[in-house]
Amino acid sequence: MPDVPHNSGYMIAAYIVTAVILVGYAVSLYRRGEKR
Amino acid sequence: MSLARKGRLITLIGLGLLALVYVRALAFTPVERLQGPAQKIYYLHVPAAIWAETAMFLVGLAGIFYLFLKDPRLDRFGAASAEAGTVFAGVVLTTGPIWGKPIWGTWWTWDARLTSTLFLFFLYIGYLLLRGAVDDAALRARYAAVLGICGMCLVPFIHLSVYLFRTLHPQPIVLKPSAPSLPGSMLVTLLLSFGVFTLLYVGFVMQRYALALAQAQPDERSAHA
Repeated sequence: MPDVPHNSGYMIAAYIVTAVILVGYAVSLYRRGEKR
Repeated sequence: MSLARKGRLITLIGLGLLALVYVRALAFTPVERLQGPAQKIYYLHVPAAIWAETAMFLVGLAGIFYLFLKDPRLDRFGAASAEAGTVFAGVVLTTGPIWGKPIWGTWWTWDARLTSTLFLFFLYIGYLLLRGAVDDAALRARYAAVLGICGMCLVPFIHLSVYLFRTLHPQPIVLKPSAPSLPGSMLVTLLLSFGVFTLLYVGFVMQRYALALAQAQPDERSAHA
């Protein structure tokens, strides 16, 4: 049986990038809404 | 409660639930034996891809109805859906290469699925630039509707590209004619994540729609003055 690859760094990077994009956009919408 | 506040609340709930999806995906969903932990990127990449494509499809539908009805609400919805879709396309185009590097050995390859998804992202950018470039509201809405319809036509091609061409990108294992070939626990995580991305799309669109509405009201008032 092959060993499970050790690539959790890529997984963590993808999860962080996704959170940054989604939270960043949510914050941008909030700030634009507050300006009005 | 105003539309903007409702949108903020839904977005906040969506982000809170996204944290729970992270916990479930990272700690309570089994690691795939061949791909290792990198396979877990799938739980973010696939729901983001579904909403990046669905958002453009809805932009196109709103565009078709706008051309017939000339209802500014359809134009505002199109603009809101396009902006949210751009964000999800951004998630797809960053998580995809991060998965591709350890699994394929390369960040990027010009295969049909990847290239058409990149084209979708550029269409989104073009759509947003077009909206910013045209001052006349009626003309802007008409141009945007036509571009949105073009984008809508691209969506089925993106989905079918893995069947139509020899691609490196995997074929669908959930959105396919036969039953999903994903183990139960992984399928539950994927469905939960899809639910959260749906909430986020709704929250984003409601907030963006409210912004467009607030922007349009002074213009409409000055037009009637």
